[in-house]
Amino acid sequence: MTATDRIDADVCIVGAGAGGAVAAAELAEGGAKVVVLEQGPHHDADRFSAQPIEMMSALYRDGGQGVTLGTPPILLPLGRGIGGTTLVNSGTCFRTPPAVLERWQREYGLRELTVQALDPCFQRVERALSVAEVTPELAGANAAVARRGAEALGWSHGYLRRNARGCVGSGVCAFGCPTSAKQHTGITYVPRAQAAGAKILTGAEVHRVLVRGGRARGVQASLDGSVRLDVHAPEVIVAAGTIHTPLLLERSGLAGASGQLGQNLALHPATGAFARMEEIVDMARGVPQSFYIDEFSAQGIMFEGVAGPPSYVAMSLPLTGARHAEAMADYRRLAQFGLMVSDSSRGSVRAFGGRPLIRYDLVEADLARFRTGLARMRELFEAAGAREVYLPLPHGVAPERARPRDLKLMAFHPLGTARADVRPTHGVVDGQLRLHGVEGVHVADGSVVPSSLGVNPQITIMALATRLSYHLLERSCPS
Amino acid sequence: MSSALDRFIAAGPWPERTGMRLLVALARRPRGARLLRALAPVDQLAGGLLAMEHYEDPAVARGLGWDADAVAARGRALRREEGRP
Repeated sequence: MTATDRIDADVCIVGAGAGGAVAAAELAEGGAKVVVLEQGPHHDADRFSAQPIEMMSALYRDGGQGVTLGTPPILLPLGRGIGGTTLVNSGTCFRTPPAVLERWQREYGLRELTVQALDPCFQRVERALSVAEVTPELAGANAAVARRGAEALGWSHGYLRRNARGCVGSGVCAFGCPTSAKQHTGITYVPRAQAAGAKILTGAEVHRVLVRGGRARGVQASLDGSVRLDVHAPEVIVAAGTIHTPLLLERSGLAGASGQLGQNLALHPATGAFARMEEIVDMARGVPQSFYIDEFSAQGIMFEGVAGPPSYVAMSLPLTGARHAEAMADYRRLAQFGLMVSDSSRGSVRAFGGRPLIRYDLVEADLARFRTGLARMRELFEAAGAREVYLPLPHGVAPERARPRDLKLMAFHPLGTARADVRPTHGVVDGQLRLHGVEGVHVADGSVVPSSLGVNPQITIMALATRLSYHLLERSCPS
Repeated sequence: MSSALDRFIAAGPWPERTGMRLLVALARRPRGARLLRALAPVDQLAGGLLAMEHYEDPAVARGLGWDADAVAARGRALRREEGRP
């Protein structure tokens, strides 16, 4: 370190993703002096090449290659930089399902988190992100295949609501939207925060949250590895994401009393199946995640669209050798759909050599969901007229006989490692997302979400961050 | 190894990147590839990495109806036209 900088602020926010960016804008616009420390860079859309390999290296933490330890290992890609994972997600927007909120009230004592109480926060987020339903034309032929299958089987389905404006269906939401149509927090909330006077610093490594006398004092960080930065602030919002927030709190010596920090990790494990159709699908033309089938959502099984360019398919296709090459030669006729499980399995995250070590094993109930889901996925594609269906299982293994190690899983929605619970013995933060036992330290990211949602979590996180911001401003969220 | 795949593997966390480099090196050699065939999940991962590299080649992808340069150029033009970030 060659120098030390000091910044004084009302609120210091760690992370500029779904939670941090929203809190930054709402608080700055509410008159607070805000500093945001983001570990990653600002990504310039001019450099978005629509090339999956190149973009994964640039936009994802660890090149999108983070993996859980356990059976089976699960690939856990996370975004890094301004916008966080909202920069590279599919843009799907579901409000927190009412049944999930009821569960939170019942099991975690979060009685204030009702549908009615959150409604103005959701409205505010949806307006800021231009959330709207995808049109069938923009959804493309990949969605049309799934819709045809769902209609033939009489399964409940619909077009997804997304945070996009002026989308032309570039087909690469997960690899940096080249038109900036996806309204991620880096181009919505972050500019609003800056316009309201917030200071946004990238390349900021936050070492610890400073607490004295049971009260937040700020954070200690470094900028680009060379300048030591002390931010003095009476309010700190940790929004480093479900995997990194518990690590920061742990190295700050905070939140350890309940024994829940880093525990209760839910992931929404997911997989995808392919089908070879008669018609040209050109799956990367259109919105990759534009359509859903929720017929089995009560069982914890959700189907959502997924698609991408040839190099992405080449990596995901569950075939090898000549069969892989043959299927790829017919790429234009390939369709894909995803299966996501609202998991009962729970994992944990802890620091190992300064990096997160994520442990997660699939329990029997989730294995059963995957078995059922994969069998249904085959039905779906067959009902849509598929010539061949490629399930993500080893050759010759039927869905009903799949073992955990047979599954090829990914996950995009880590949740719960600093869960909210009104009881200090059971949770890390209270219903206002304030760290139990400490004044002025709050958490606003997926880590506070106390259970699986069964749906994509981005606007749940944003609505909770909105609610936290208005609580700190001592105002009610305008509807 | 292409520079894109090289950068992709280099972006991965240690020790995965060491393992991936080894895997790709093996998969590129006939004897190594034969060895990997006996280990189905590893073979699929190695094959997937090489395939990903192959199909990211613009000429190969264009043959399958995907033109990344055109998609990126259209995006840039629309952003400029509509004044988006």
